[in-house]
Amino acid sequence: MASKRKPTQEQSSARSAALPSSSQDTSLVDLEVLRQIVELLETSDVTQLSWRRGDERLMIRRGQPPATIVQTVPGVASPSLNDAPFVERRMLDRQESGAAAAAAPRPAPEKPGHLVTSPFVGTFYRTPAPDQPPFVEAGATVRKGQVLCIIEAMKLMNEIEAEVAGKIAEILVENGQPVEFGQALFRIEPA
Amino acid sequence: MFKKILIANRGEIALRIIRACRELEVATVAIHSTADSNALHVRFADEAVCIGPPPSKESYLNVPAILSAAEITRADAIHPGYGFLSENAEFAEVCEKCKIRFIGPRPEILRLMGNKVRARQAMREAGLPLLPGSEGVVREPKEAEELARKIGFPVILKAAAGGGGRGMKIVRGPGAISGAFSTAAAEAVASFGNGELYIERYIERPRHVEIQIMADEHGRVIHVGERECSVQRRHQKLIEESPSPAVSAALREQMGRLSVAAMERIRYNNLGTIEYLLEEGGKFYFMEMNTRLQVEHAVTELVSGIDLVREQIRLAWGDPLTRTQQDVDLRGVAIECRINAEDPVTFAPSPGKITAYSAPGGLGVRVDSAAYEDYSVLPHYDSLLAKLIVSAEDRPTAIRRMQRSLSEYVIQGIRTNIAFHRAALADEGFLGGAYDTRFVERLLASETGTRRLRRAIEETP
Repeated sequence: MASKRKPTQEQSSARSAALPSSSQDTSLVDLEVLRQIVELLETSDVTQLSWRRGDERLMIRRGQPPATIVQTVPGVASPSLNDAPFVERRMLDRQESGAAAAAAPRPAPEKPGHLVTSPFVGTFYRTPAPDQPPFVEAGATVRKGQVLCIIEAMKLMNEIEAEVAGKIAEILVENGQPVEFGQALFRIEPA
Repeated sequence: MFKKILIANRGEIALRIIRACRELEVATVAIHSTADSNALHVRFADEAVCIGPPPSKESYLNVPAILSAAEITRADAIHPGYGFLSENAEFAEVCEKCKIRFIGPRPEILRLMGNKVRARQAMREAGLPLLPGSEGVVREPKEAEELARKIGFPVILKAAAGGGGRGMKIVRGPGAISGAFSTAAAEAVASFGNGELYIERYIERPRHVEIQIMADEHGRVIHVGERECSVQRRHQKLIEESPSPAVSAALREQMGRLSVAAMERIRYNNLGTIEYLLEEGGKFYFMEMNTRLQVEHAVTELVSGIDLVREQIRLAWGDPLTRTQQDVDLRGVAIECRINAEDPVTFAPSPGKITAYSAPGGLGVRVDSAAYEDYSVLPHYDSLLAKLIVSAEDRPTAIRRMQRSLSEYVIQGIRTNIAFHRAALADEGFLGGAYDTRFVERLLASETGTRRLRRAIEETP
C-alpha cells in the first residue's frame, strides 16, 4: 500500500525530441512554447519535466506531488533506484490515487491539522456494526478520546480514538478498506 | 500451486524468495517495517504492507501484524525465510489455524528440533551418531561432574533451548564444572528463558559439516550433499563451500544415507539441514538440525543445479519430490563469502549509508544481496549485506574466482568484511582445505594472517 505508488516519471532532455519543432530557436521561457509543452504533457503520464539548455533551466511539475516514500526516510533517498526496472503493482482494489493519498509513512500533508494514523495492519470500518451509522462524518466536531473508527485485526475490533479535539476535516480511507501500520485515517483540525 | 505468498522476512532472503515466486508465477506480498520502506524486497514484491515500526519485535516478529497482512492481502501461504519466525512452532501453528500454509516443516517437527535435548534423543533413536554425553537434561553440577568424568574432559555444557553458539561453556577439568554450570544456566535463562543444560564430550578441532535435506509430504526424503561451514567466528559462519575438502565420496554416501534414514523415520517434511561435527579421521556426530532454508543454501544450488527455494515452495504445496537420490548429480565446487557490514578487524557492526556500490559479475559469479547505492544499512537488523557465491570446475579455480570477485566488489560509505575474506582465502590452511572451526581465531592471531588482512584493507576499494 505504502509502496503502491506509480513510479515518478521523470523526464529529462530525452523528452525534448517530442517538443514542437518551433521551439528550436526559441528561449525556453517563451510563453507560447511553454503553453505547448504543458498541453503536450497533459496528454501523457509525465508528471515532471526538467529541461536544461545552456544556462536556461525549465522545471514543470503536474498534479499532486507524488507520494514517494523514497523521500520519507531521511538520508535514504534513492535516485539510483528510479531507473530500476519497475513492475507496476496494485494493492487490492484500491484506487491508485487513493492509495497514494493514503500511503502510510509519508511526510505530513501540506494541509493543516492532526493526522490520526492506524496503529496496526487491519481493516478499517467507519461504523460500529454494518447496519449502524458511522462514528463520525466529515465536518463533525470531536472530543479528545472520542471513537472515530474500528480497525479489525485478527478478528478483533479495535476502536481508534481521537488524540485531539477538533473538527474532522477529512476522512482519508474508505469503509472496509485494508490499512497498514502508520496509514493516515483522519485529518483533524484541532479546536 | 499457491496463488499468493507473503514473505515474512526482509533483506536478501526476501528478495531470493520473491525471485523464486516470480519464476513460479506466484504473486508475492512483502511486509516491512517503517525503516524498510525503500528496501528492494518492498519494491520487487507485487504488493507490500507496512506492518510496524523498526524494532523486529514490533514488525518482523509481530505475529498478529503479519497474519493481518496475510489476511488483508489474501495470501494463502507464508514463507518465513531464515531467522525471525522461521523456526517458531507457535507461529507455524497459528498460520495453519488461519488456513495459511506455513512453508516449512510441521509444527511438531519445529518443536522437536527447537529443543536440543529432545532433538538429540530423537536423533539417537533414529540412528544418528551422537557425541558421548548426557541422555537428557543435566539437573545439577554434581550430576554434570559425574557425567564429565565418565565421558572424559574436556566437555561442553550447552543450553537445551540454545543455538547459534549462545549458552555454551567448555569445561577442561573437574574443578571448573560447578562454576561453569551456574554461569551457563544463568546465560541460558537470560537468552532463551529456559535454563536446562545438557553435556557432551568436547572436540577441540572439529569441522562443521552439514547435510541438505529435501523431503516431500508423502514420506520421501533425499539429500543434496554437504556444505562445509567451518570458517566461522563466534559460531557465526563466514565462508561456506561444497563439497567439503574433508568429505570423501564414501563418507558423503554414509552421512547422506544415515541422514535420509533418520528423516524418513521422523517423517520430516520440507527443507532442512542436519549439522554435524566432523572429527579428524572421518567420525561424525549429530549436532543440531535447522528446520528451515539456510543462509548458505546457494552453495548447494550451484553444485546441484537445484533451485532449493522453488522446490521448497513446491514441496509445501504437496508436490512429490521430482528427483530420486540417484538423480542428484553434484558437480564442481561452490564457495560463498558472507559480506557483512562490519569492521574487517574488530567485526563491530558498521551501519550507515552506502555511497558507492558495484557488484562483481562474470562467469560463475552470483551475488544475492538487497544492497544498492544510497541504501542505508540499518542498525535494527543483522549485518549480512550480501552473499557472494562462486562456482567453478575445481577448488583452486573457485578460490581464484572468489578472489577476483572480491577485488571487484565496491561498497563505499560503510565498512565491510571483504578484506577479511581476501586474507582468509589466501591462507595456506584454507588453500589446502585443512581447516577447522578454530580457523578464524588462528588467522587473526597469526602474524601472516594479520599482515595479509592489513594489506587487503589497503587494497580494498
